[in-house]
Amino acid sequence: MKVAVFPPNSLILADMVERKGHEPLVIQKEIRQKVTDPEIDSPPFNITEEDPIKGLKYAAIEVPSGIRGRMAIFGPIIDEADAIIIMEDAPYGFGCIGCARTNELTMYFLRKKGVPILELHYPETREETMEMVNKINTFLDSLTESSKPNEEQRE
Amino acid sequence: MSPENDKVTRMIILGPKAQLSQSELLGKLHMLELPLTIKSTCYGAVIHGDDKIVQDAITKIRDLDPSNIFTKDRGFAPGDPRRCRAKRGAAREGFHQLEKEYELLEYVCDALKDPKKVSLEESKKISLDEFRKIVQECEK
Repeated sequence: MKVAVFPPNSLILADMVERKGHEPLVIQKEIRQKVTDPEIDSPPFNITEEDPIKGLKYAAIEVPSGIRGRMAIFGPIIDEADAIIIMEDAPYGFGCIGCARTNELTMYFLRKKGVPILELHYPETREETMEMVNKINTFLDSLTESSKPNEEQRE
Repeated sequence: MSPENDKVTRMIILGPKAQLSQSELLGKLHMLELPLTIKSTCYGAVIHGDDKIVQDAITKIRDLDPSNIFTKDRGFAPGDPRRCRAKRGAAREGFHQLEKEYELLEYVCDALKDPKKVSLEESKKISLDEFRKIVQECEK
């Protein structure tokens, strides 16, 4: 299953999703497409004029173009997600995830999607971290179990 | 589409309790004899190459110390002048996120070694009667 993680550049979340055999939807994959595209002259400082237009799917025209441009990158993550893990209050936000309003909008769309979702808080202590890891593993195991009957039905 | 579009970059991060050092990790990666670009870093290594080959290398390297080796995708290729520290003169943006999450990796390793099933339901508040009983028991 494709699991969207938030923050979308989190090492811990992406690694744990992959350990359980799922595919993490992370921002780096979207950025890679941007920075290796020969059509953009000096990536990632410029975006193409199509990006804010793509962002219109998620935000109104009155919304700043910076948010719409970011939403063009976050969009595929939202659209493809079969399950979601959100870790709130992550301490740092740089680059693509440095915009608080985009983050709010992305989390709104992810919550609205109606797929299995696990919401956590960024841990500060050993106990909190261990509980977070166990919760993520239990959640990912439940996804595997729930997807099994569907596969059998298809057969 | 350029051939670069088919290539991926992965960061291999060694946890604080890892059984191997960065130089050992680099040696192991070279010993795999796969067509990869390998770069040594302070947290482990960065590898760059075809998707399947990178995945193969990741699987083999993870087996060395499963609960202490972490991996993460990276958008930019190793040494990319737009992000490389040697050209920019400061840590790249993603490093700060990595640095902060590194502080928790020790505990993540512990949890991965000793996994437990937990309930995902939020704990509910106890009823007033139950609370009263507990208080009365404590007073005895």
